[in-house]
Amino acid sequence: MLHRRQLVKRTGVAGLGLALAGSALGSLGAVAVSAQESTLVFWDTLNDKIRSKLIEGLGTSFGKANNVAVSHRGWTLEELQDTLPRAVESNQGPDVAQVNNGESLAGPMARAGQILDLKDYDTKYKWSERFAPSLLARNRYTADGKTFGEGDLWGMSAESEIVGLFYNRKIFADQGLSVPTTVAELEAAFKKLRENGIEPLVWGNLDKWPAIHLFGELQGVRTSREFLDDLIYRRKQGASFTDASFVDAATQMVAWNQADYFLQGYDGITSDDAIALFSAGGGAMLLQGSWATAAVKQGLGADAGFFLMPSLEAGGTVLSVGGVAIPYSITTNAKDADLSAAFIDSLLSQEAVDAFIATGSLPSGVIPEDKIDPETVDGQLYTAWNATVDADAVGHYLDWAAPGFYDVITGGLQELLAGKSDPAAFTQKLQDFYAASFS
Amino acid sequence: MQHPSPDSLRAVTKPASQSGAGFVFPAPGSRRTGPRWEPYLYLLPALLVFTAFVAVPIAGGVILSLTAWNGISWDTATWVGLGNYVDAFNDSRFWTAFRNNVTLIPYFVLLPAILGLIPAALVHQMKLRGAAIFQAGLFLPYIMPGVLIGVVWRWMLNPVFGPVNQTLKRMGFHPPTWLADFNLALPTIGMIGAWAAYGFCYVVFVAGIEKIPRDLYDAAKLDGAGGWQEFLAVTLPGLRREIAVVLSVNLINALRAFDVIKATTDGGPGDATNVLALFMMNSAFGANQAGYGIAIAVILAIVTLVLSLLVLRLFGGDDD
Repeated sequence: MLHRRQLVKRTGVAGLGLALAGSALGSLGAVAVSAQESTLVFWDTLNDKIRSKLIEGLGTSFGKANNVAVSHRGWTLEELQDTLPRAVESNQGPDVAQVNNGESLAGPMARAGQILDLKDYDTKYKWSERFAPSLLARNRYTADGKTFGEGDLWGMSAESEIVGLFYNRKIFADQGLSVPTTVAELEAAFKKLRENGIEPLVWGNLDKWPAIHLFGELQGVRTSREFLDDLIYRRKQGASFTDASFVDAATQMVAWNQADYFLQGYDGITSDDAIALFSAGGGAMLLQGSWATAAVKQGLGADAGFFLMPSLEAGGTVLSVGGVAIPYSITTNAKDADLSAAFIDSLLSQEAVDAFIATGSLPSGVIPEDKIDPETVDGQLYTAWNATVDADAVGHYLDWAAPGFYDVITGGLQELLAGKSDPAAFTQKLQDFYAASFS
Repeated sequence: MQHPSPDSLRAVTKPASQSGAGFVFPAPGSRRTGPRWEPYLYLLPALLVFTAFVAVPIAGGVILSLTAWNGISWDTATWVGLGNYVDAFNDSRFWTAFRNNVTLIPYFVLLPAILGLIPAALVHQMKLRGAAIFQAGLFLPYIMPGVLIGVVWRWMLNPVFGPVNQTLKRMGFHPPTWLADFNLALPTIGMIGAWAAYGFCYVVFVAGIEKIPRDLYDAAKLDGAGGWQEFLAVTLPGLRREIAVVLSVNLINALRAFDVIKATTDGGPGDATNVLALFMMNSAFGANQAGYGIAIAVILAIVTLVLSLLVLRLFGGDDD
């Protein structure tokens, strides 16, 4: 598989160039170059068979409508993160690529002049009018690329993500349980299930990042939109990881661990193992993101269900971990920025929304009611997503807070759960690293 | 048939049988034919390749380690002198990773050497049939990619449905979560590393034993040596060079350990299995501190070089 893409404009490039482009694209299984004027190349993280087919289908539609060949390459997130900025710097990058939010990549690439400010295209395509402001804030940076969460758009997301609890409806029915509406009811369900010999909460933390989600969910039941945005967008207004919401969330995680509510051996299995185990009927609930819907549905069928982390008090607001998926940006290697912007807009079209829904993905924006069957796990996911967007309650991934924060928070959570540190020391450690990142 | 004179024999620095039929090395101080620079001309192609693909990248790496480059844009590559090195030596995460590398050395270096030496000596003494198949089986883990070894062992040690814990549970034990336990994770990684390397050690030792002259074993037998004494008096001294090779290769593997750890624990739990190569990778690409990451790589390269030379010095001397 080739790692480099040569974007070859057919016009003005003779024999050898065409042959090279043809062989490169052929080996990548991309859309044929033949009669079109140029090739638009995009890179993203849709790398499995189903999602590659989906996105390449959308690319083909766009290509036909615009008389352009469209070439796609799906990477793992880590590979894309490592490769993209170096490829763009070497003038070997794609026209359009998913650029991870915040300081993980979008900020450094914006400051390096490697992606385009989408301000004019935002005006043209009215993106800001079509999507919730708090969702789009994750794709914004100031024009100098220095302040996250405000200013212009630098990318647009075709999909969304939300973390919650998948549940086994058969086990719930057998145990006389209903979907909990408060954290206390959830804990009561955990207790009852453990007493009856059923794994209450399936999750796996060997790959480290899932604990961020649980921690974020438990903090999300205790926080506010303003506080969390200040913290993640680094607005320096006193938001701190030593806030009571974080200390209490850490305390609750430890308590749940000590009460044996987690899958036995959760710390030694991966996230994928946990999905497989739950989908095979190995537990009552699974902490996971919307991306696991297809696998859970395939395993449990009609027994699969989904609900969001309940609030502390009945009817309260919870900021659920999630957001827009990694946004598509236009790189400065793009041959035709207008065409690239039109392509990004096509990924937000009704055709794209329908295609994402058909494969069990969660498209960006609100899901039309006529697409929702509340009896299915997808339907419950879409209902939960719509309600969260409506309440402006889509939370954040906490590792966005600072460059390198991922290692600190994941390692810290493993130490916390193993009893190597306590909630106060753990949150202080997070805050020390976070504060140092401003200097 | 004309016999060579004693003078001409003295001019030969190597036996003709080893240096090619009919070729005689010139005696020291004898006249060379051809211009002085001619040997360098023969070296030039290799030197050019070495310069382009080894020397220049190393020099470039050392220079970049003196900058605060983010690895994304050259504009950010500001000169910080030895700042990255000072930061590394003041960074507790660096020392944790370094300590973990050192902890892995007995597992990656000594254990596979011992595990390879025992069957090599036994197979030699017992003259087993089908030894070649046995050797191929032992060598197999060494040629498997580290990531694959990591994935296989992650599955083997899965606490919920992995065969190791399933078996132990059936035997009435309460097995730990090997890769998630702060005290056991690093030794477990070490054992995986030993498992992956001992087949290589075995094959090297078997080849070494094969070249030990038979008459030494016969002489030992005549002197009444048993199997153990034969091993100590003949086999072990005869394997000194092979031991040097095995130890230095294993040492390099211990210090550059990355793939197995990435595929099993990703440095966790906490920093319990974080090693310098992983720390370097996460610093350079995860935290976008490429200059810092390269400085760690330079330190790692120097440590590896020094320790490898030490091992070769200790075990790799002349046979005389």
